[in-house]
Amino acid sequence: MNGEQNLEVLLTEEQIFSKVSSLGQLISRDYAGSGELVLVAVLRGSVYFAVDLSRRLSIPFILDFIGISSYAGKTDPLGIVRITKDLDTNIARKNVLLVEDIVDTGLTLNYLLKNLRTRNPLSLRVCAFLDMPARRIVDVPVDYRGFEMPDVYVVGYGLDHQERYRNLKEVAVLK
Amino acid sequence: MAVITISRQFGSAGEIIAQMVAQKLNFLLVNKKMISEKLHQYGISEPVFTLFDERKIRFPENENENDEVFETNYLHYLDALHDFFFDLAIRENLVILGRGGQILFKDFPPALHVKIIAPLKNRLQRVQKLYNLDEAAAARLISEQDRDREEYLRHVFGYEWFDLDLYHLVINTGIVGLEEATALIVEASLLQESTDIVSLKDVEEQLLRENIPNKVLDTTGSSPPFAHSSEEEFAKMLDFYQIKWLYEPKTFPLEWDSEGNITEAFSPDFYLPEQDLYVELTTQKQKLVWKKNKKIRRLKELYPDVYIKIIYARDYRGLLLKYGIE
Repeated sequence: MNGEQNLEVLLTEEQIFSKVSSLGQLISRDYAGSGELVLVAVLRGSVYFAVDLSRRLSIPFILDFIGISSYAGKTDPLGIVRITKDLDTNIARKNVLLVEDIVDTGLTLNYLLKNLRTRNPLSLRVCAFLDMPARRIVDVPVDYRGFEMPDVYVVGYGLDHQERYRNLKEVAVLK
Repeated sequence: MAVITISRQFGSAGEIIAQMVAQKLNFLLVNKKMISEKLHQYGISEPVFTLFDERKIRFPENENENDEVFETNYLHYLDALHDFFFDLAIRENLVILGRGGQILFKDFPPALHVKIIAPLKNRLQRVQKLYNLDEAAAARLISEQDRDREEYLRHVFGYEWFDLDLYHLVINTGIVGLEEATALIVEASLLQESTDIVSLKDVEEQLLRENIPNKVLDTTGSSPPFAHSSEEEFAKMLDFYQIKWLYEPKTFPLEWDSEGNITEAFSPDFYLPEQDLYVELTTQKQKLVWKKNKKIRRLKELYPDVYIKIIYARDYRGLLLKYGIE
């Protein structure tokens, strides 16, 4: 596995495939006949999950991406979050499913939900590949959850550590 | 000299009545504050006084050397306290609040012994209002305080707290107003042996101010004085994600002494108004946070509607790691 010795697999490729498939079926069923669906994948970690999930959907959808800056310490000159890549789609009166790789503190998701709500979507739900409630600071809704995780530092399947390990097919604990 | 002793159920307003009586008669009020300031002259430090004052003391069944030291200290404390009372009574007219005064001065002819009681319903209302507690928390507090006093009297003097033979007057503040109660005691004292009118309301408001510290800091405009750099970092993080916060906006009283003075309180570091959430940040090592955990458990017991999250040192390091700061 990338030749790394400091990784311990938590979720295998098979487990991930099975979960993403069942999430796809569930979402397809829930949104069937309910109008336009926009899958909003949060850059960059959720891209792998969002693409795989979209392939399991049996309903029409629009795939779009949004990116926001990450907190970089108290010396950050701007000091506030900013959108680094905005949606190309007008989501007003559309069903929006925000696709996250991981929900931990809830700080990022809380901001995104507040931002997207101002655009008047018909509905706004969250699908998270991994949920780490032990790390939650701000309560946020997670409507579709892949795996609930213990409080560990994980990489793989889109999740990185200093831009490494995104391409792992498994989810692993970085030790 | 004259001595008035006032025994009181918790929440029956006995402290205020004692204060008023002392003011009206120009007697010296002997309450917790006064004793704690003076008892060091008898070799009792303030922490020792706070530990033993009007509390039930449990002696462990399996005695060891430390327990013996503890018991010796306790007996020394009782001797010093009682000497202090007797010495004062030689020189001053006194109003003594609690601490077995009705028994210590039982056979002291100029003494007037008073018990202040009130129905639980009235005491609950008063304690809820005074300390901003819900009914269950107020009931628990009343029960704890009364039990402490009852056991103190039984253990130290071998008397039952509700032995009515001990008192000249029993006043129910559920049906007698505070001013009337004060006047009754003053008149009774004047009958055995007088002076100015002070507004009861002012005194009560003053006690409320003293008892419930409740600072509110306006964090708009300038940064508050953070106690720790981790708090400043956390505040910046919240600012970054546009989450409103207040720094230490409220202090929650957790323990009170027998006179209703706050002896322990807790001020969570942050309040997030949009989430109605308090956040406590602790960077202490895990094995050192037990005291804080204990306070938070007590806070949850007394204020079940308060939602609080604790970010431990490990969680905080995880946050910094997540954002690549550390």
